[in-house]
Amino acid sequence: MNPVVFAWRNVWRSRRRSLVTMAAMSFALLMMILYTGLVAGYMGGLERNMLDLEMGDMQVFAPEYKRDPSLYTLIEDPGGLLAKLDDAGYPAAARLIGSGLAAAGDASAGVELRGVDVARDKSVSEVYQHVIKGAWLDPAQPQGVVLGGRLARTLAVSVGDELVVLSQASDGSMANDLFVVRGVLKNIADGVDRAGVFMTADAFREFFVVPEGAHQLIVRRPPARELDAAAAEVRGIAAGESVQTWRDLMPMLASMMDSITGAMLFMYGIIYMAIGIVLLNTMLMAVFERVREFGVLKAIGVSPRGVLTLIMLESLIQALLAVAVATLLSIPCFAYLTTAGIDLTAIARDISVMGLALDPIWRAEVGLGTYLYPIAMMLIIITLAAAYPATRAAVIRPVEAMRHR
Amino acid sequence: MNNDTDAVIVKLEGVTRVFTQGKVEVRALRGVDLEIQRGEFTAIIGPSGSGKTTTLNIIGALDDPTAGRVLLEGRDLTKLGRGELSRIRRDRIGFVFQAYNLIPVLTAYENAEMVLALKGAPKAERQRKVMQLLAEVGLEGMEHRRPDELSGGQQQRVAIARAIATNPAVVLADEPTANVDSETAERLLTIMEKLNREHGATFIFSTHDPRVMARARRIIHMVDGRVDRDERRDQHGAPA
Repeated sequence: MNPVVFAWRNVWRSRRRSLVTMAAMSFALLMMILYTGLVAGYMGGLERNMLDLEMGDMQVFAPEYKRDPSLYTLIEDPGGLLAKLDDAGYPAAARLIGSGLAAAGDASAGVELRGVDVARDKSVSEVYQHVIKGAWLDPAQPQGVVLGGRLARTLAVSVGDELVVLSQASDGSMANDLFVVRGVLKNIADGVDRAGVFMTADAFREFFVVPEGAHQLIVRRPPARELDAAAAEVRGIAAGESVQTWRDLMPMLASMMDSITGAMLFMYGIIYMAIGIVLLNTMLMAVFERVREFGVLKAIGVSPRGVLTLIMLESLIQALLAVAVATLLSIPCFAYLTTAGIDLTAIARDISVMGLALDPIWRAEVGLGTYLYPIAMMLIIITLAAAYPATRAAVIRPVEAMRHR
Repeated sequence: MNNDTDAVIVKLEGVTRVFTQGKVEVRALRGVDLEIQRGEFTAIIGPSGSGKTTTLNIIGALDDPTAGRVLLEGRDLTKLGRGELSRIRRDRIGFVFQAYNLIPVLTAYENAEMVLALKGAPKAERQRKVMQLLAEVGLEGMEHRRPDELSGGQQQRVAIARAIATNPAVVLADEPTANVDSETAERLLTIMEKLNREHGATFIFSTHDPRVMARARRIIHMVDGRVDRDERRDQHGAPA
């Protein structure tokens, strides 16, 4: 008799109990798989927003800039540095940063002006894809600017409206000019939404009288390169400048993202412990109901290890069936959650975490780990839960087992 | 070893078994000395509590004596570990229980085959042997029935086939006819007699059943955990 076939038949001898047990396992596993996918989607969305829209993987500044941001603290040869980064395989783009006051009609607001190299910036940032009204910057229209959504509302301007911007130029003169709102961004980050004004680098240079240099380089890393290794390489390339990773720039967010993994494992632990207790109870019942039968098996020569193996096989069969059911059920669930997602707009229109906006449609992300970790943990818990009753059945003396009623 | 020693298949020397129930000690066996010869058809009889089943359990390595020695084919079972005792039960002992004790999820064929599979017998040999035994116990055509599709007598015949399948040194049958009607009991005894005669299997019964006693060629009377009388008979049932 094949032990697997024997175990399979034993699983189905108490059909209802086995089905209830497997249903509990499947449900718990399905929830864990979906939870993992949704957390991955949340983390992925947060990371994408942060890296693709706001930070890049790394940023390069002149050494004193982060301590004392100033219009005058510039990377002196951004062109040379960009060429070296290009050669090393790091997409990068220079930005200019200044502040001022914007006014339209009776409204005014403090603004942060960002001068971007329109062509290059697309290789490091996807902000140009997040224009909800109008269009992104066009070097052919240097007076066109793109505003954060909340700033546009504050100033009560829309596409085509005029905007006066005032500041102090680098030569000490009063900088003031009339710009035309070319586009309005959807919320990508609190700072951009509240005060961001994007303009072409040429317009910025002319407005602030900054003919050369750049305040910031946004650098991306090739997907296969680890962040720390990439940062070390970029530091070598940009010797004399300050290179900071997104983790250096947003330590709280980095810490939060790290702790989410821990929280996820904690959640797994709680749910699987509950399932483990249910399973332990079921396995204890299943074993104690059949103590006499185990006595017979031992009487006819089945070894203690044989009894242990049989019970563990029965648990494994139930676990594998539960895994199959949960995996199958997860397919349509993920088909929905990765496309339509969970619409959170009813709860809040603008959701942000530490200043970074999140898409109000919460979508899941699925990868190998989405299945691997929950299934592995499930199998470990099931093995642990089955081990105790299986061991007890294995060590009981045949005569005691056969007297059991 | 001489031939006489070889002929002794089971030997109990001063076997005592004490059970503890709460604070009370129950002496089930009180120094039992016993020898069973190869090929014997022996009944152990006695009133309830006399120690019949305990004796069978100890001979069958299902239970350990509190004191004394138990030798099966010259090997002292009291000195063996659990794994070794499992192998001895698998290879050298067959059991027939009062309550049949077949595995409910296995068919008649699979129940009888299981012991051979545990022993590692090749599939072809298992098939030949099991089919032959099931035919001998009158269960041809019922190989694929599960225990709940068989009558009590049929289940006990499967149990007998299972007990004899590995050509054990000894078959221990604990009240094998207690749960079956007279006709079935007679049939079971005829089968076991035939297997004893043709396969040379040694049978030891624990029984209250006069039909078993009538066919046994040796009757061991037990009283209060001791062998009270040991009676041998010829093939016609007359005292030898």
